[in-house]
Amino acid sequence: MTAPVIQSDLKCATCAGQCVYDPAVQALKCASCGNITSLETPDDGAAADEFPYDPLAPTSEVQVEFDSIAHSCETCGGTVTFVTQSLSTRCPYCDGPVVVDTQDSGFEPMALIPFRVPEQDAQGFAQAWVRKRIGAPNDLAGVVAKARVAGIYVPFWTFDSNELIQYWASYRVRRNKRTVTRQTSGALQMRFDDMLVPASHHVTPLIRDGILHDFFPERLRPYRAGYLSGFAAEQHHQTLSEGLERKGNEKALLIRNRIKRHVNKSGVHNIRYHTDTNGIHYRRILLPVWILHYSYNGTAKKVVVCGIEGRAYGERPFSAWKLAGYAAVLTTLAVGLGLAWGAAGLL
Amino acid sequence: MFLSLAIPALAALALIAFGTLAGIPAMRKLITVYEAKHELKHGSTGWLRSIGGWSIIAFWLMTTWFLATIIGDWGVTGDLDGAIARSWLRLRVLLEIAIAIMGED
Repeated sequence: MTAPVIQSDLKCATCAGQCVYDPAVQALKCASCGNITSLETPDDGAAADEFPYDPLAPTSEVQVEFDSIAHSCETCGGTVTFVTQSLSTRCPYCDGPVVVDTQDSGFEPMALIPFRVPEQDAQGFAQAWVRKRIGAPNDLAGVVAKARVAGIYVPFWTFDSNELIQYWASYRVRRNKRTVTRQTSGALQMRFDDMLVPASHHVTPLIRDGILHDFFPERLRPYRAGYLSGFAAEQHHQTLSEGLERKGNEKALLIRNRIKRHVNKSGVHNIRYHTDTNGIHYRRILLPVWILHYSYNGTAKKVVVCGIEGRAYGERPFSAWKLAGYAAVLTTLAVGLGLAWGAAGLL
Repeated sequence: MFLSLAIPALAALALIAFGTLAGIPAMRKLITVYEAKHELKHGSTGWLRSIGGWSIIAFWLMTTWFLATIIGDWGVTGDLDGAIARSWLRLRVLLEIAIAIMGED
């Protein structure tokens, strides 16, 4: 059962003002007097514990009602929760208008990593990322400069598993000026350790791979209302089997790539494999992200900044004129080289 | 002499124009691959998906270069049919390279 949000826990012990989590000091900070209250406890290390999954045993996942204020977005349909009254009436995911909903229910997160990057820094990281885009429209930085970041805890899974893979594949070789296809097979083992899988359709695997390069379980903290104070959170709504299905889609691509490297030949194709999976462990966690929304030529786009390390990645438009300019330069070089080659009568 | 060079020169300019148009998606892919290599976690699914399909860049450049070699040959010899005939061996080598590239992509 989820720990109830006791609003008095979020009240300042000195002046009874409202406390919000401040990433700069990584503790609760009173909005009135600035008093700092630590959220650390001696047993915080247990937050990194993983939970075993036995595919043969029936799972008994119990949904809980979150004791927080749920907001539904009228644009993207997402539901985010706030432990205190939301200051914003916009959705952190898509910047659409939100309405206060009935209570949100889902699966309680086991742990979270609190925000470490303050809003101002996140704003700077997002702007810097946009400014570095090659082939972007000239006015893009100006458009993005007007946008604001919104902080949200996004649901993720971590999965561990051992894979015993048996595979069959084809590859091409040159024999007597002809290309022939050969068959091969083999076996290999793979271990996935703390594989992060988004449990929200708002954060795509591409954005995850752009902002989350490293995952340190020791940074996990128990799921407490104090960490969520001042931020939105999307709760876990996926069942474990849905999470494993998503992991399976990600895993398949990684296994195929690993098989290609294991075969170590040119032109590997037609890969088939069978894998025996064991040692599955998982966590339901929340990870902090800052999301910056902007609209370019009527298309909504977002830049996401990792709330842990500040790495930014997102969606960007291209300037057709700039792309044409770069293409013209390379085409001219290729044509120049080709003309010289043909004029010289080479092969 | 001037007229015999003018037509290949016009053909080269047309090739630059068409090559530029055809190169826009390839340039977009080139930038995507560059950004993926520098910003996405190496070996991740996002990284694999982003760098996949880079062969479009090689095919675009090889095709442009190949057509330019025919025009270059044509400009010097004034014999378009002969230039095309002489390009067959070059085309075979390019196709071999293309197959190898497809295997690596």
